[in-house]
Amino acid sequence: MSSAEDPAERRRSSFSERVLKGGSEPDPRFTLANERTFLAWIRTSLAFLAGGIAIEAFTGDIFDLAIRKFLATVLLLLGMLLSAGATFRWLGVERSMRHKAPLPLPIIAPLVAVGGAIASGVLVVVVLTR
Amino acid sequence: MPRTAQRFHEDPGLQPERTVLSWGRTMLALCTAAAIFLRWLPTHGPFVLALFGLAACTAIGIYTTQQARYRRGSVGISNEHVEPDAVAVVVTSTAVVALGVLGLVTVVVF
Repeated sequence: MSSAEDPAERRRSSFSERVLKGGSEPDPRFTLANERTFLAWIRTSLAFLAGGIAIEAFTGDIFDLAIRKFLATVLLLLGMLLSAGATFRWLGVERSMRHKAPLPLPIIAPLVAVGGAIASGVLVVVVLTR
Repeated sequence: MPRTAQRFHEDPGLQPERTVLSWGRTMLALCTAAAIFLRWLPTHGPFVLALFGLAACTAIGIYTTQQARYRRGSVGISNEHVEPDAVAVVVTSTAVVALGVLGLVTVVVF
């Protein structure tokens, strides 16, 4: 492995070179911070997935089949959207940092809010009208 | 090996450690998801084992790369250069999306 002191000699893995073209290296601390933010979104997405599974697995004697399937489907879909959105956000932030551009708005943030509100709303209605 | 790899990075923000811990939390979240998938086994049949396997494999993948990840972070802070880990990001989120797809199939079909 050659010395990594000279920026021109730095070896980049072909995949990350392909998805992150041009611009200049951001501060490595920001790159790591962006990675942690991505992981926080992934954990949020996993929480939605786990919630969807839990609804389907544990509420058999509380909710009827249609409501159970609807809630589980909404939560699983949200988890998938968040997970895919997390990658695009990571990519967008990394690209903005390379080009010293303003960071993109997090579109997945309102997605969590709206999705969470829909799921909670359905639960409230179901519990109250039971 | 870069000469700077031999000395400790001087980063009061503890970036490499926080990043590795963040991956560790994600790994634990995957283990939790894998465990909850098993609760589907009695009602939804052996197809659920595919979900369990995918979540567990992703968790094992994170676990086995943690040491390399810490090295990458601390060497990178010393050299003022950290290559963005696009492969890990794409693999992790693809695995989670796949878990969602398999979960939906389980809910709708089985």
